Amino acid sequence: MFKKLWNLFIAFTRASNLGFGGGPALIPLVKAEAVDRYQWMDNEEFADSLAICNALPGPIATKMAAYIGYKIAGWLGAFIAIVGTVAPTVIVVVLLGSLIAKYSNSPELKAMLQAVRPVVVVLVAETAYDMGKKSFPTGSSWGIAVATVALLYLANIHPAFIIVASMLFGWVVYGRNKK
Amino acid sequence: MFTQLWDLLVAFARASNLGFGGGPAVIPLIKIEVVERYHWLTNAEFTDALAVGNALPGPIATKLAGYVGYQEAGWLGALVANIGVILPTVLAVILLAGFLMKYSNSPVLKGMLKGVRPVVVVLIAQTAFDMGKGSFPNLTTWGIALATVVSLYWLKLHPALIIVISMAFGLLVFR
Repeated sequence: MFKKLWNLFIAFTRASNLGFGGGPALIPLVKAEAVDRYQWMDNEEFADSLAICNALPGPIATKMAAYIGYKIAGWLGAFIAIVGTVAPTVIVVVLLGSLIAKYSNSPELKAMLQAVRPVVVVLVAETAYDMGKKSFPTGSSWGIAVATVALLYLANIHPAFIIVASMLFGWVVYGRNKK
Repeated sequence: MFTQLWDLLVAFARASNLGFGGGPAVIPLIKIEVVERYHWLTNAEFTDALAVGNALPGPIATKLAGYVGYQEAGWLGALVANIGVILPTVLAVILLAGFLMKYSNSPVLKGMLKGVRPVVVVLIAQTAFDMGKGSFPNLTTWGIALATVVSLYWLKLHPALIIVISMAFGLLVFR
């Protein structure tokens, strides 16, 4: 049992600390650990677990860790796999963040942050572009996008309502097309 | 103190449970909570948090929760914000696994996810636009943005590397 938990911890720590670009970038690394290295599941089971996780909101990496950890070693396994995924990078980001807060008046730090902000803007825009490429298969998806912009900027509606409304719309319009 | 922790828990749980498409889809919702609703960070500070988060590996939503939670209420705040991000969806995935397995290929669920995806794209684009408003005070910053696009698409440089290079550049040029 202890060995199993240790393997879970190591597998998810390694996957998390080698993947840049947020949770979705970790998926192939988690697969390398769970399917190829430790053989906790086969390719098909992994695809199933990914489908389950994608059906729910929230970060994908922690859901995968919980699902696989629970399968292998129950609730304790889920907990350990999540700690492996989250703890190392959260601790580093907090330490860096407290340094930024401490030296927020230093001209050196201000110079570095001024230069990095345009990079972050481009990276986030790139995320939108990449997701967009896969998200506009039909004309009606463009309609949803235009409606979203209108509701956000003209009507000042909270995104939560737009998200729920778009899912209801998808249910009614896309959900029945192909049975 | 208790109110602060409760606010952190609620803010991050709400953002996480509305974001379909993994951590990056949660970013705009975290920004709405952190910048617009609770005013824990300014727009520029949120951009800095995202810069630090993107320079490190691992899931992005939990790093933002740790960063913001710690600034507001120390290590306990970082923990509570992360519980908000992680716990509800993790419980759902474990407890509902059998149910979801049955329905993850159903046309209804696929249709709902297809409907929400354009909304997520617009929200992320809006986040980039909002952060962009304060991030281009001079011509050099536009040059950095252009260089980032070139490095990403033609040179295929790693984003974390671009972040580090731009900070070194800023240290030399903007000081």
